[in-house]
Amino acid sequence: MSAPLKVRINGQPIESPCPDERILLDLLREDLNLTGTKRGCDLGTCGCCTVWIDGRPTLSCLTLARSAEGREVTTIEGISPGTGMNDVQRAFVEKGATQCGFCTPGFVMTATALLRDRPHPSREEIVRAISGNLCRCTGYTKIIEAVESAASGGTS
Amino acid sequence: MHLHPFELHRPTTVEETVRLARGLPGGFDWLAGGTDLLPNYKMHLNVRPHLIALGGVDELRGRSGGRVGAMTRLGDLERDSEFGASYPGLAEAIGEVATPLVRESATIGGNLLVETRCFFFNQSLPWRESLGYCLKADGDRCHVVPQKVKCYATFSGDVAPALAVLDARVEVAGPDGRRSVPLLALYDAAGDGIRRTHLGPGELLVAIDLPDSARGMPANYQKLRVRPAFDFPELGLAAAGRIVDGRVESLALAAGGLETYPRRFDELTGPLLGERLSEERIRALAESVRLAVRPVHNTFLAPDYRRRMVAVFVRRAVARLGSVPGGTAG
Ligand SMILES: Cc1cc2nc3c(=O)[nH]c(=O)nc-3n(C[C@H](O)[C@H](O)[C@H](O)COP(=O)(O)OP(=O)(O)OC[C@H]3O[C@@H](n4cnc5c(N)ncnc54)[C@H](O)[C@@H]3O)c2cc1C
Ligand code: SF4
Ligand code: FES
Ligand code: FES
Repeated sequence: MSAPLKVRINGQPIESPCPDERILLDLLREDLNLTGTKRGCDLGTCGCCTVWIDGRPTLSCLTLARSAEGREVTTIEGISPGTGMNDVQRAFVEKGATQCGFCTPGFVMTATALLRDRPHPSREEIVRAISGNLCRCTGYTKIIEAVESAASGGTS
Repeated sequence: MHLHPFELHRPTTVEETVRLARGLPGGFDWLAGGTDLLPNYKMHLNVRPHLIALGGVDELRGRSGGRVGAMTRLGDLERDSEFGASYPGLAEAIGEVATPLVRESATIGGNLLVETRCFFFNQSLPWRESLGYCLKADGDRCHVVPQKVKCYATFSGDVAPALAVLDARVEVAGPDGRRSVPLLALYDAAGDGIRRTHLGPGELLVAIDLPDSARGMPANYQKLRVRPAFDFPELGLAAAGRIVDGRVESLALAAGGLETYPRRFDELTGPLLGERLSEERIRALAESVRLAVRPVHNTFLAPDYRRRMVAVFVRRAVARLGSVPGGTAG
């Protein structure tokens, strides 16, 4: 058995016993009780499990926890400043971009990374960026509008 | 879904990696981005007791000119605008792989060696158990072509055809040292969906080398899939070449998503070199490629439809490389 896994999660150093075959999503949800990250398909086909590793959006269901060793993992629990919501989250609420809500953490992680790298994306760029996240409720229109709204500072 | 227990090894140099691979009882798999291997492991498809992760081997990462390390991520290549401008067809193929989220982890080396696919194979353990296993995992027959003892699982990588038309080579490292081979020589055309490459035991892909002639070469990639994201290619057609004033200076076509290996059609494009293109010639070429390919019914779309789309894609590909005087090759 390998040494305990050392990783930073949402800014906190974590040490966890971690078998080599542990999947990052399982470490987060089952070992650390960070259940904001959702398990949809568990096979890379829905985007619900999106987290950031060193700032890059990553599907945690297709990542070994050991691959995050020594790196910074950010989950939906760690994405907002203090206790409030970030711009994307606020826009999702204001635009009604969430229905059952199961896909929302994944969309927020993807969209927040997009706006960090490209603060003023075109609608086409937004659609492309979220094309790895599935939503079975909204029909996407409200989600795209929410990301557009967040990009324009919540005024549109 | 939890994975079966395995031991993970994390070497840091190519030499250490090759050495490690020699002494692992029970077999191992290389782990690159894991976006193909881990879903297969979750479905308990051909799992091994050891995994050798290549992510810590510096030499395998990044691009320098026409040399692309096997562990370079597709997402990074997509953001590399100089790369995209130099190799437009390759950039199109990379942008069509899976989804943006998958491409953040997926590597180019993993894409070239992506496991062949079949709808009787890419299924959960209970699904496969209830029907009866097949040759490719745990069984002794093929559900697609039951009269043969051969696997027809489809090569479903998008990037290989786009590299093949640019005459890319790959560098392989293994117990006998390093060798460089043309990309398509990696694949076993005489094998099947199981014995699909010429990689020896303990050999890994180090890098892809694009020749100088590939830089700036007009090229394109078209993909047939049901949804514009997520889906593997039901057909991927890459083209590269120079067609100047309707005359063919060079032309290469390659396809994936149809058979157990990606292939080029030099015997069909060769006779056109130096010739003036006409709409008739393009249609004849498209028809000859359609007749040359042999998809079977183990993916989502019917083989006959995929073959007909081969002809459509060939016509569009050639039209995009250089407009045909008076033609509407759509
Ligand atoms: C939802 C979803 C959709 C997908 N859609 C597509 C698609 O449209 N088109 C497509 O092409 N792929 C698709 N894929 C498959 C996969 O994401 C890509 O092919 C990816 O590029 C594989 O790279 P990887 O680094 O993740 O490979 P891994 O999963 O790590 O490895 C794949 C295979 O290659 C071997 N390997 C990896 N690197 C090396 C090396 N350097 N030397 C020797 N062997 C090596 C591994 O042992 C393994 O057998 C999809 C995957 C998912 C989950
Ligand atoms: S082609 Fe036949 S042997 Fe190969 S994976 Fe499909 S069912 Fe199995
Ligand atoms: S749970 Fe990871 S992509 Fe669906
Ligand atoms: S809100 Fe229900 S899946 Fe998106």
